[in-house]
Amino acid sequence: MAATTGGFAGKVLRVDLSTGKISTQDTREKYGDVLGGTGLGYQVLWEEVPPGTGPFDSANKLVFATGVLAGTGVPCNGRTAVTTIFPTCWPKPLVGSGHMGGNFAAKLKYAGYDALIVEGRADRPVWLFIRDARVELRDASHLWGSGIRRTNLEISQEMGADCSVAAIGQAGERLAPMAIVANSLSHSAGGVGGVMGSKNLKAVGVQGSGAVRIAGDKGEWEKLIKFHLSILGGNNQHVVPSFPTPQSEYYNPASRWVGEPGRRWGAAEPPVEITGNIFDLNRIAYRTNSAAFFLGEGAWKHTVRGNGCTACPIRCHTVIKVPSVAAKYGIHETAQNTCSGLNFGRAFFKALPGGFKGPTALEACMVGMHLADDLGLWCNYGQLQRDFLKLQREGLLKAKLGATEYASIAWDKFESGDPTFLFDILPRIGERRGELGQVLSQGTAGLFRHWSMQEDDWGRDHAARYWKMGHPKHHSSEDDGQCGVIINTQYNRDAQCHSHTNFVRNGLPLSVQKRLAAEIWGSPDAVDGAGDYTPMNLHKARRARWSLVRKELHDSLGLCNWMGPWVASPLKERGYRGDDSLESRFYSLATGRKLDREGLDRMGERIFTLHRALTMRDMGQLDMRAHHDLAPAWVFKDQNGAAPFTKGTIRMDRDDISRAMDLFYEVMGWDKATGAPTAEAYARLGLKEVGKAMHAQKLMPGDAA
Amino acid sequence: MSPEEQARLTEAATEVVLQASREGRLTSRKDVLEALVADGYFHQAAGHVDTDNARQTPTEEEAAIALAGILAGHPGLASFEGLSGETVYHAPDLLSRTFARILDRKGSPLLLMAEEIRANSRDYPRPVPVELFEAPPFALAPEEIGHVLHAMAADPGYQDISFTTAPTGAVYLFSTLHLERGYAAFLALRAESLSENP
Amino acid sequence: MKPGKFPELIKLAASAAGMDATLSRRGFLMLSACAVSSLTALGLCEALGAGAPLVILDNARGMILADPSRCVGCQRCELACTEFNDGRAQPSLSRIKIGRAMNFGPEGPTGGPAMQGTWGNGLVVQSVCRQCPHPVLCATACPENAIQADPKTGARVVDARRCVGCRLCQRACPWDMITFDEDRQKASKCFLCNGKPKCVEACPSGALRFVPWRDITREGRAGGPVLSALPAAKARACVECHTPSRKKSSAR
Repeated sequence: MAATTGGFAGKVLRVDLSTGKISTQDTREKYGDVLGGTGLGYQVLWEEVPPGTGPFDSANKLVFATGVLAGTGVPCNGRTAVTTIFPTCWPKPLVGSGHMGGNFAAKLKYAGYDALIVEGRADRPVWLFIRDARVELRDASHLWGSGIRRTNLEISQEMGADCSVAAIGQAGERLAPMAIVANSLSHSAGGVGGVMGSKNLKAVGVQGSGAVRIAGDKGEWEKLIKFHLSILGGNNQHVVPSFPTPQSEYYNPASRWVGEPGRRWGAAEPPVEITGNIFDLNRIAYRTNSAAFFLGEGAWKHTVRGNGCTACPIRCHTVIKVPSVAAKYGIHETAQNTCSGLNFGRAFFKALPGGFKGPTALEACMVGMHLADDLGLWCNYGQLQRDFLKLQREGLLKAKLGATEYASIAWDKFESGDPTFLFDILPRIGERRGELGQVLSQGTAGLFRHWSMQEDDWGRDHAARYWKMGHPKHHSSEDDGQCGVIINTQYNRDAQCHSHTNFVRNGLPLSVQKRLAAEIWGSPDAVDGAGDYTPMNLHKARRARWSLVRKELHDSLGLCNWMGPWVASPLKERGYRGDDSLESRFYSLATGRKLDREGLDRMGERIFTLHRALTMRDMGQLDMRAHHDLAPAWVFKDQNGAAPFTKGTIRMDRDDISRAMDLFYEVMGWDKATGAPTAEAYARLGLKEVGKAMHAQKLMPGDAA
Repeated sequence: MSPEEQARLTEAATEVVLQASREGRLTSRKDVLEALVADGYFHQAAGHVDTDNARQTPTEEEAAIALAGILAGHPGLASFEGLSGETVYHAPDLLSRTFARILDRKGSPLLLMAEEIRANSRDYPRPVPVELFEAPPFALAPEEIGHVLHAMAADPGYQDISFTTAPTGAVYLFSTLHLERGYAAFLALRAESLSENP
Repeated sequence: MKPGKFPELIKLAASAAGMDATLSRRGFLMLSACAVSSLTALGLCEALGAGAPLVILDNARGMILADPSRCVGCQRCELACTEFNDGRAQPSLSRIKIGRAMNFGPEGPTGGPAMQGTWGNGLVVQSVCRQCPHPVLCATACPENAIQADPKTGARVVDARRCVGCRLCQRACPWDMITFDEDRQKASKCFLCNGKPKCVEACPSGALRFVPWRDITREGRAGGPVLSALPAAKARACVECHTPSRKKSSAR
């Protein structure tokens, strides 16, 4: 690594499991134009993985990529994007990324690598040892069959306590499409665990003693970091607390900023009272308590502390301690996770004694975390549980499973809301036991593939929240009208975009949101109140574009799009403005390469467009508008028959969404008829070669099919 | 009062309001005067030896007259007519307008709840869960909240205050002056579903 | 060192500490930290002559206290330490240490119910420099006198100009708190950021505090290996005070 480079660790590590060859490349030289993260992953797949490659083929590649800002003190970094041909994508696997936080990204950077590209397939179980320049494949036969916890422990014993281990559990080993790779106990990337399993790669252990250099002036850097801290709110960048406080003009009972003086981490020893001014920078970590937000007020007394990724002050993973579960279920009394991970266990039940925020639900969550995070089972953003409940409710499981298998399931425990039901059902799925395990471990795609269930039926069901291609909606019209719809049409899995929803859910009054929207996207009409949607306009299309570009930018810089962007703040003196140029200011200081907001956004757009080209190439599809950018039927129907654009409905209008796509393609510089990027768009983004390749395959607008 | 006297009084009076705001209290002019008296601010006037100081310190009566203008004109302070009818002062940077209003209305749970419900329905807009009023700074007992809701139902002045029950059983309150019933029901359902929509 | 000079110093220190002036060398060892402090305040180095080995340092004025039950394991302190001081993010160089006990606690990946850290009971035990009182092992071990008390804070700081990169200080610290900058081939340690510790400022949960110094070297578990390789000149200086006790010799 040259001493003058900053931000980048410098090298990309490449491990060919088939040959055992270990090599490195210069990051900036080879991947500097796509930053890292998903950008780097897309480029590797574009250049090296031929169309038609299956997720579990040895020709598929698995790219663990961090970004320029990972491992630094920039708040809310710590992300690793794991990009590959995504196994849960229906009907045909296409490019997709799982994202994990924890400490893996930072350690990989300190070891000297911006990314790790895994290729080929080992002939026996191995794990990858990375200690700075020393990289080895080691035997994993003693680990094969073990859960993620034991794998972590044993690798840590071998490497030393300060390593970070990204491992798969039994689900990944058995090539379950619904498998995770996880590090730091609870930080997982969904859908990619089976790909690791197919390569016989049990885990990656990494230790790093090196540095991520800051090219710019350290005083400037310190100032910018402190500024960023000052505009942080709570989790998801909710910038107002959930309670009235002397220091703030606004509050929102639905905010994830739930911590306030008077609350306490009741299971800390001794308990920690939240005192002082919650707006102080030395109190940021007390603002978020995901357990209290998701599982109910009762979780405060079980709270040990907040946890999370390297350098993130928000701590969205909450450590909870529930001593009763040790004796009752034989599991560890502490567990940690956030949102979907916390919900994992209780979401398998249609009802629980005491309700979904009661003590039994809490126990179900503890059992769920214990099992899922050890087996390495993914929930597909809650779709696994919704599918399971739908299948059970509609008698489909009984119809599809053999009588013996169906009868072997502990339905009495399911009916009574007994958390021990999870000890029956989750290993079946995680270890792919029986037909139920085989099918459900493939995600919703498995139901379509093996049980001939119709995707359209799922798409009509409001309760199923299914979107398309085997995946659920992820902040769509229920949160953000047309913006949400556009964003949800663009990916091959759930959209995982939070740029839009973090703004509309930030807790500020609509009038303030509109004032900020006018400044950022050119018009107050860029944002509507939830469920009070107005017809599509150009500013919403701009906001959708901005949201997608920022998502890819964050995913490629190592920043957290679950927390960013930071365009609103808790600061009255700033008129609640955040800072739209924050990412580019950090990028410029870290790398020493000055880029303004527009310049960095162009890189984000390049990355997003590369994802588009890759998807089109692997689909062999020019007409993305008709065949990819789709919304399910439930979006256009109101359960009470309300008309679109009436207050209190999230129902969208088909013609209006068609216009929304028109405007979106227009602001992207894409062809309106097909939704395909034009030659100009590729050229403008420095993707001329990609454009040429698309043209050669008749995938450029104007090419005859 | 000389300009120097005026400046000194302004500084002293402002500090009383700031301190109260820091401690989460509203301040009336009477409170300010009392605090100044307690601090010995007027002693020098009565001390009659040091003529320089005496000249710079107004009498309590003079100060009382000047205070209204001093406090009203201060850019860092805000005021409103409290429930008591007195003008109350606070420093919005330390004690927000929203919080100040809540403090002022704490003596009248009926008005406290109604105005908070109205403001939420008007500004955000949203209905609020009834449990909001159990937590600080409202800190009303559940029985008290029940009494207030009954009293509102019977009082013509509060006929805009209504409620909607989400399918989870949670009760949300809103004002029909600012939110349609159907929209309030939608927003309540949405709020209840947020923990399943991470 | 000139013979005969030391007893005078001891008398001086003892009187400064309000103690009897007829102290023996052995008695000197029983002096309180206060007396040792006074001794340095009186200018031991000067008294011993220019270039004399530095054995006794004045006590630090402040230190960083870490509360494990508040630590959220974000490592922002480690990053503030190295980014704001050195212009690079490098926890291995940090003078406060979170990462090493974060996963499994100070005992490491043992498994079992007593395990701490993320994989255990959740508790993160931070490691901070205790700014040791005499004997300051890192400073004593340094053959170049490169570790000295900062005149303003009393923090034991590495003078990079004198440091020759021998790493003896690293081997001497029982708390394993000396870091080594491989790039510059220099040792480094907590210098309290000249009185305004960046780590304390950076903590998002108020788990770190900058407080008046007290001796906490007998609290907590000293984990690191101590290699007692004293430079010869310093060993001689030590022996000036640390003479064999009469009791012990008469018992022989």
